[in-house]
Amino acid sequence: MSQTALAPTPGAALTAGIRPLLLLGVLCIAVWPALVSSAYELRIFTLVGIYALMALGYQFIFGHAGALSLTQGTFFGVGAYVTAILATKFGLGAHLTLPLAAAVPVLLAALIAAPVLRLESHYFALATLGIGQVMLLSAIAWEPFTGGSNGIAGIPGVVLFGTAIPKGMGIALFAWGAVACAALLSWRITRGLYGAALQVARENPIAALSLGIDTARLRFVCFLLSAAYAGLAGALFAHTIRVVSPETLEFPVMVATLTIAVVGGRTHIAGAILGAWLIINLPEWFRGLDKYYLIAYGSALLLTIIAAPYGLIGLLAKWRARWFPEAPPPPPPPLALPLRSSRATGDGAALLTVAGMVKSFGGVRAVDQVSLTVKLGEVVGLIGPNGSGKTTLINMITGIYRADAGRVTLGGVDITSAASHDIAASGIARTFQNINLVDEMTVLDNVAVARYRHAGGGFRSSFGGGLTDPAWHLARGHAMHLLAALGVDDCAQRPAGDLAYGLKRRVEIARALALEPRLLLLDEPAAGLNESEQADLAQRLRDFARAGLAILVIEHNMPFLMPLADRMVCLDHGCVIAAGTPAAIRANPQVIEAYLGTPEDAAA
Amino acid sequence: MLSQILLNALALGASYALVALGFVVILNATGAVNFTHGDMVMAGGYVALAVSSATSLPGVAVLALVIVAMALVGFVFSGLAYFPLKSRPPVAIFISTIALGIIFQNSANALFSAEPRKGPPLFADGLITLGDISMPRQALAIIGVAALLILAQHLLLSRTSLGRKLRATAQDREMAAAIGLPVNAMIALTFAMGAALAGAAGMMLSNTFFVTPTDGSNYIVKAYIAVTIGGWGSLAGAVCGALLIALFEVLFPSLPLLIPSLKTLAPWLFTQTASAILLYLGLLAIMFFRPQGLFGETVQRRV
Repeated sequence: MSQTALAPTPGAALTAGIRPLLLLGVLCIAVWPALVSSAYELRIFTLVGIYALMALGYQFIFGHAGALSLTQGTFFGVGAYVTAILATKFGLGAHLTLPLAAAVPVLLAALIAAPVLRLESHYFALATLGIGQVMLLSAIAWEPFTGGSNGIAGIPGVVLFGTAIPKGMGIALFAWGAVACAALLSWRITRGLYGAALQVARENPIAALSLGIDTARLRFVCFLLSAAYAGLAGALFAHTIRVVSPETLEFPVMVATLTIAVVGGRTHIAGAILGAWLIINLPEWFRGLDKYYLIAYGSALLLTIIAAPYGLIGLLAKWRARWFPEAPPPPPPPLALPLRSSRATGDGAALLTVAGMVKSFGGVRAVDQVSLTVKLGEVVGLIGPNGSGKTTLINMITGIYRADAGRVTLGGVDITSAASHDIAASGIARTFQNINLVDEMTVLDNVAVARYRHAGGGFRSSFGGGLTDPAWHLARGHAMHLLAALGVDDCAQRPAGDLAYGLKRRVEIARALALEPRLLLLDEPAAGLNESEQADLAQRLRDFARAGLAILVIEHNMPFLMPLADRMVCLDHGCVIAAGTPAAIRANPQVIEAYLGTPEDAAA
Repeated sequence: MLSQILLNALALGASYALVALGFVVILNATGAVNFTHGDMVMAGGYVALAVSSATSLPGVAVLALVIVAMALVGFVFSGLAYFPLKSRPPVAIFISTIALGIIFQNSANALFSAEPRKGPPLFADGLITLGDISMPRQALAIIGVAALLILAQHLLLSRTSLGRKLRATAQDREMAAAIGLPVNAMIALTFAMGAALAGAAGMMLSNTFFVTPTDGSNYIVKAYIAVTIGGWGSLAGAVCGALLIALFEVLFPSLPLLIPSLKTLAPWLFTQTASAILLYLGLLAIMFFRPQGLFGETVQRRV
């Protein structure tokens, strides 16, 4: 008997994972200001908060979006300079300087995002490094505005609507108040469906696109968020230290932030705070090392990336799971989901029409004038020798490759040049030759995240709900239903990477169905399955087709495909060499020549 | 005047070419960006400084020692930054090289202090006069030596069986291992080669431009720009990109000297700072409009 509640019992919530340690940490932070004895220690405490805030922002782009940005320090410096200039030259109060200090880096981020964000990892990192250099050089050169190499001094403390916040304890509490708000916001944004979408987008971008997730937009939002947090941290820094110089734009600030994120844990909120506390206090503890404390930073960074890639918080969570394992929470109850969306085309009309598709790679014609149609309720088999263009064709239909020529329409709508994630959302779901599940996520979560578009998934919706995200709860319920339909619901809470190949295949199909597609594209679904699994799969696919789904299957396994398919299309060297019923295909001499072979060939 | 500028540009370009070449060689072999590459250039300059102040060897002998020493550094480096992380995504290696870069920089700071130091010349300082043109000896020496090193590198990779093995490892590590090549040794050797090239460049640059512990980030960005212009992964492209960068860096601020009317037009534009900013902006433009560079091929990911 399954028992579930929207929120777990308070006792279970407090002892889950490493929460007891985290609560202890929060207590320590709350109590610390009362124990602090000197103004210097209070300043260190404030700096820890400021760097924690910057690191929290960095976790969006570096941790959640998985992009190694090296502009975090630059955004920090820009926020600091904006505050300095506005407060000293224009006398603006903090109620204006703080939001503006957050807004200007966001604008800068939006500006540089276009050329830079779609680059892959190392391109992106070095591009952001270049931008950092430009800002640093500009700050030094633009003397009338930024005070040149000397910077700007005499910045007032935080003055909100005329009331000055006292320095020392006042600014410390203000800064940590900001950290608390920022942490709350981070938690809200990443705890539910949006957080799961971020994880898929970073672990497996192609899979994410096939689930309707706009990975570019997610990265963009994360980049802007990171800039906002960094700008605010810079503003607080300016109000605390009261001097801003080009040093705030130099690389050591970025290095510190990166080290904090890596050492603390790049997706854990607690990691940002723990990391900040460690990294800011390191120079104090190693005061004997004097100017060589940066060598200690470097060594800490190196050791952590080798030994604890998920940071100290990740390490703690791993130890907790190893030495004090807890039972996984019970899965949510299944929520029924219609297997086919209510959108319908006229009877007998083709749902998918592919006309004259052409694709060349360099000098090779991978796909040459290929046309085919798939109707609702029909199973079409796509066969041909390796390299004949089958997967390339599917990649063009799903928008992963841009076709050189040709047209693809779905239900009358032209999707030839549509973006991959939009094509997925308009009703085409696919599975991959090499199964593209996220190994670290549970089976249930892998399927649930496919409900992203249907839940109206997006940044704004992540703010909804209370302790849990209702859209995520709904998504997981639907996912359970689909897993049960595919017969894999007992694996729901296991990491997807632990499953046997045949089960993974079924999970992937469940995930595809979660999109409520009109057309299902399966790339070698029977590969790696034994005979009984194949028969089971064939039966399920027949049921789906009978329920109205259109199915296109690439297969090499003829005993599996021939009884299943209503029609078949055979490709060779990128061209269609035959199309028709399975019986006609089997007898077609060109297909036999190119692909099937004769009994004599088999005996040879 | 123009010939002077062009010579300086060529000398600078030759040094940058060595840096970019070493960068690409490691990139191709490991798929990982070595963020410390710029710091290795800096390290080469300091090693040259140390050797020349401790001994009275001629410049070329110092160069040989620098190359050997930096090759060793490259070996050790690969053991710290690369091999513990080779089965992880490339980002992890990027971070480990950042970490080692920090260690390099601050060790240099500790050993030599932060003020700029002048490295030894390859042959001698001073000028050679040919007719009415006088050229700095060092500039000519750099061009000659760099050309030799690039040629040697090219011959090693294309004509020797060791070079074939290195290229095989770089192109497809798994396949190379499958046919029995000692892949780990090849990668370690590649790191050594990259570091040696960087170190040689460092020594040459330290005489004209001095050396400070924080030079690294400047050189890594230059190497990166060169490789992006030339096409990610292309050796010839890296060399061309490096020459183009040097040409721009030297020629652009000197334009008012060649065309005096420009001096009054926009004096702030033709400074070192402005040309540096323009270079980075140019990089962003290239990445936006032609990310595969001049010689690169657009690559599609296999699904």
